Amino acid sequence: MDEASKIKKSVRFPNLLSAGFSLLLALLLWELLSWLGNIPAFMLPSPGAVWERFLRALQDGSLLRNSAVTLFEVLAGLTLGVSTAAGLGYRLAKSVRLERALSPYIVASQSIPVVAIAPLLIIWFGPGLLSKVLICALIVFFPVLINTIVGMRSVPDDLRDLMRSLGATRWQTFRYLEIHAALPVLLGGLRIGATLAVIGAVVGEFVASDRGLGFLVNVARGLYDTSLVFVAVLTLVAMALGLYGLVVLLETRLLSWQQPEEGNVIR
Amino acid sequence: MKQKFFIPLILFSLILTSCTGIKPTATPLTQIRLPVGYIPNVQFAPFYVAMEKGYYKEAGFDLQLDYSMETSGTTLVGAGELQFAVVSGEQVLLGREQGLPVVYAMAWYKDFPVAVVAKQEQGLRTPADLAGKRIGIPGLYGASYIGFRALLSAAGLQESDVTLDSIGFTQVEAIAADQVQAAVVYIANEPIQLRSKGIAVDVIPVADYAHLAANGLITNEKTIRENPDLVRRFVKATLRGIETARLNPDETYEICKKYVEALAQADEAVQKEVLVTSIAFWNTDPPGASDPQAWENMQEVLLEMGLLRAPLDLSKAYTNEFIK
Repeated sequence: MDEASKIKKSVRFPNLLSAGFSLLLALLLWELLSWLGNIPAFMLPSPGAVWERFLRALQDGSLLRNSAVTLFEVLAGLTLGVSTAAGLGYRLAKSVRLERALSPYIVASQSIPVVAIAPLLIIWFGPGLLSKVLICALIVFFPVLINTIVGMRSVPDDLRDLMRSLGATRWQTFRYLEIHAALPVLLGGLRIGATLAVIGAVVGEFVASDRGLGFLVNVARGLYDTSLVFVAVLTLVAMALGLYGLVVLLETRLLSWQQPEEGNVIR
Repeated sequence: MKQKFFIPLILFSLILTSCTGIKPTATPLTQIRLPVGYIPNVQFAPFYVAMEKGYYKEAGFDLQLDYSMETSGTTLVGAGELQFAVVSGEQVLLGREQGLPVVYAMAWYKDFPVAVVAKQEQGLRTPADLAGKRIGIPGLYGASYIGFRALLSAAGLQESDVTLDSIGFTQVEAIAADQVQAAVVYIANEPIQLRSKGIAVDVIPVADYAHLAANGLITNEKTIRENPDLVRRFVKATLRGIETARLNPDETYEICKKYVEALAQADEAVQKEVLVTSIAFWNTDPPGASDPQAWENMQEVLLEMGLLRAPLDLSKAYTNEFIK
């Protein structure tokens, strides 16, 4: 292990420790609040009640079953949204005229309140998984698109000149220069996209669904089972964090060629 | 310069002081915020009529309706944040199951207003006809799901005998586009909307097959214990509103125009039909009385669905004490 990685590891460890410590403190405060405040369980369940409900939901399979559905929607939505946005972003980065022509629609794709459009998507595409995947893809589209355009345009002109002077084909320029130069910004967009996709899936499920974590929240609310609401919400948070972590891991792998400065990757 | 403004200034201050005036010391009105669980609609006519005719003011209340769809009236009343809310009967039992100390104090609807609607060409006239069909439902929770399960039970059917599509509140579009063969709806809403679009429909009301505790006024144990007079006055004022609205639909409709935005521009025939269909449900006898059998039936449905673990003490869930 080289000197730089050794330093990185030692700085990372206290980060994990402090994160764990703050989490423990938060749990303690929560337990104290629900106990001292004499707050009824249907308003704010104690951490113990939520844990017990979590175990029950795990045991009867409802948590895993619904989490799998939401995860599928998120991954499918991410794949669709990212691939469409990246593909279009590359084209638009090359052509300012095309970008100007399409910019009203692009901005609209972000401005349309997903909550309002979700029922329409359900009517057009049915109440199944497709509408949820589309909602996810829509919510992910704009940030990834913008990041792709910015990333592609941030490729230094002198490096482009260098590739041209070496007689590189368009594909070679793309493969050996553009991707690598745009990757940091692109992956930044993916980080945002990953967490937004979880929101998108839940919004879709809230409006009309018979499975998924958003559906589980609705069922829990209908039964005044606040502990289950917490379980579902915390599972969604864990899912979003997990996806975010995966993107960070991807960044570490793909951007390993960058200078090992500590401030490079924001955790 | 100053003299020019002197007299107008005197006059102005005289007018100002006479406006504020000296009021006789009156008991301040109790502010009540009432969640009704839906957007402003002619269905809430009793409240509009009672407000317009001053029934609530006479009873000592300043009423404000809360139309937020997301407000959980049951939770807020259970938590003691609000004194009253308008909810459907099953919410009381589901809430009490989780420890919410809510009590149903006045029955507004005698029967459950949920129904299954289908295009006439589907030929669905009885619950038994629903077997094997694809049915759209807002979701697998709430009054529509519970009402639908009661309907299936009445026909001896299981949920597995039908295909349920959770379609949110897109039933009208789903029926019109034949995406589903039938849909679970609110009887005073979607069927009327479909007919107004020229689509002939059949309606299978849950009320024809199951007698269940439906929409009414809830309060909490604390308010009953500490201020029963408040509950009695509020229930009485509301019952007056229901009675007046029920007996004078035309005048009621005109009053609704003041409280329901854009009603004046809406299709009068459709909206009047909504009002008349709703009024048909406000026939509790005696007015406001809860029927013990309706509550037993509701508990039975919830137990069968597994939403209640064990029978509750129903005598604590509702009361007819305040309608007398």
